[in-house]
Amino acid sequence: MKRSVFWALVRKDLYLMRGIIIMMIVVGLVAFFVTGFGNVGLAIGGLVFLTANIAGGIFMAMGMLIGERKEMARAFALSLPISGHGYDRAKLTAGYLAYLIPWVLITGVVLWEFLRPHSGAQRGMVVYAVILQGFALAMYSVLLAALFGVTSDGMGALVIIGSNILFSLFMMKLNQPEIAGPLRTDHIAWTPFAQRMLIGELIAIALSAAIALFVMSRRRDHI
Amino acid sequence: MNDVAHNAFALRGVTKAFRHFKLDDLSLELPMGQIMGMVGPNGAGKSTTIRLLIGLLAPEAGTVELMGRRIPAQMADAKRDVAFVSDDMRLYGLARLDWHMRFVASIFPDWDERYAQKLLKHFNLRPDQYVKGLSRGEHVKALLLLALARRPRLLVLDEPTSGLDPVARHELLSELMEIVRDESRSILFSSHNTQDVERICDQIAFIDRGKLVDARDKESFLERWRRLSLDIPAGVALPRLKDVVDLTLGERLAILTTDRYEPALHGALEKCGARVTDVQRMSLEEIFVASVMRSRVEVQS
Repeated sequence: MKRSVFWALVRKDLYLMRGIIIMMIVVGLVAFFVTGFGNVGLAIGGLVFLTANIAGGIFMAMGMLIGERKEMARAFALSLPISGHGYDRAKLTAGYLAYLIPWVLITGVVLWEFLRPHSGAQRGMVVYAVILQGFALAMYSVLLAALFGVTSDGMGALVIIGSNILFSLFMMKLNQPEIAGPLRTDHIAWTPFAQRMLIGELIAIALSAAIALFVMSRRRDHI
Repeated sequence: MNDVAHNAFALRGVTKAFRHFKLDDLSLELPMGQIMGMVGPNGAGKSTTIRLLIGLLAPEAGTVELMGRRIPAQMADAKRDVAFVSDDMRLYGLARLDWHMRFVASIFPDWDERYAQKLLKHFNLRPDQYVKGLSRGEHVKALLLLALARRPRLLVLDEPTSGLDPVARHELLSELMEIVRDESRSILFSSHNTQDVERICDQIAFIDRGKLVDARDKESFLERWRRLSLDIPAGVALPRLKDVVDLTLGERLAILTTDRYEPALHGALEKCGARVTDVQRMSLEEIFVASVMRSRVEVQS
């Protein structure tokens, strides 16, 4: 019974987020396809690809947490036979799954394109793509955890602004010639910077998930 | 769990403090099969009490039992038998009503589809309607449909009629009267509308400023409270009488309100020189106002 309620709530969130999930997949894949058309295609496609990844995540986290609170649908969900903590865990699980579905698909297609023989793409870009996608996932994870912790719209807006600034700084760093240069070759090079970035991203994901779980476990009032 | 072995709910010494409000040492219980109306002005603590009962809030002191289970520790189990609807609760705007019905049905094995279809017709709701397009009254009806078709043993309604037009209110109360016919089911109904409460409830609790003012069965309220009109000749002063809640003195006439009316009171008053000219039963609203005013005076003094 409890298990079925948990998964029913997860399915509920995936259903309600289906529009954003489909949008992220379609826009992300089309944008990636466009990057293959010269420098202009790369610039436009790259920008749209990043927007789909990052903005999609922000809309998703906002819709699932802030939107539910504002819509006052949380009380309805909490009237179902699940504990407050159980509900939060279902929400967190749905939050990760909703983002991972398009993320895995898009990342898979991108890596397959870079790695498949005769694709014409620079194989070294695999590292660039992994770091970029890893950052998008880490940022989403931090955003999700932060929005779990905040209860006011103002704080929610601050979290979103903060994550946008963080992303801009990350992109500035990643595109510096001494960092991006070695990645834009046919040789896959896991440079020290790439390794540090990946480890940092993994730590950010693990830490933010742990913090979200900790915040939930301390919560006594659920509305 | 045996149906009759426990109360539908029991709150004992429950305290919950917020920045500007405190629910203080509240004790209240409802036996299975009864309907309780919780009446109080806005901000009295009705919603807080219900949220504590459902486990949405955790008490700072005291114990909460719902369907024989401790809250919040066993709230998931307890809520299998409980449906809860509040006036500030909303469904998911981007989903249709039939999606909500399938969603709730997938969780509750006792979901009664035939009853759900009957309520759809009765409430004049369309299953293919998106929730964001529902009016306030339709939204409340949709919430009630989802709550009632679960066939809960305890139905908790927090101000369900507020904001409803008279026709929708009548439909809702009629549906609740139908449920009440099944004696194994209980209802907790909070409202500041005493007429609604008087119509369907058999237990009544008055709550004000975070405190329980009085709680007993409706008949006992209505039987015990009376308003007496007195004729007091000049020069006669009434002594302090027991069980007098309020005494309003005019030049010769006085209005006395008592919460323990007995015919013997007539004799006591006549001994003092006053003559009882009229005895009036009081409506629940009048009883509620008199109870709250007395409670506030007691707190202040």
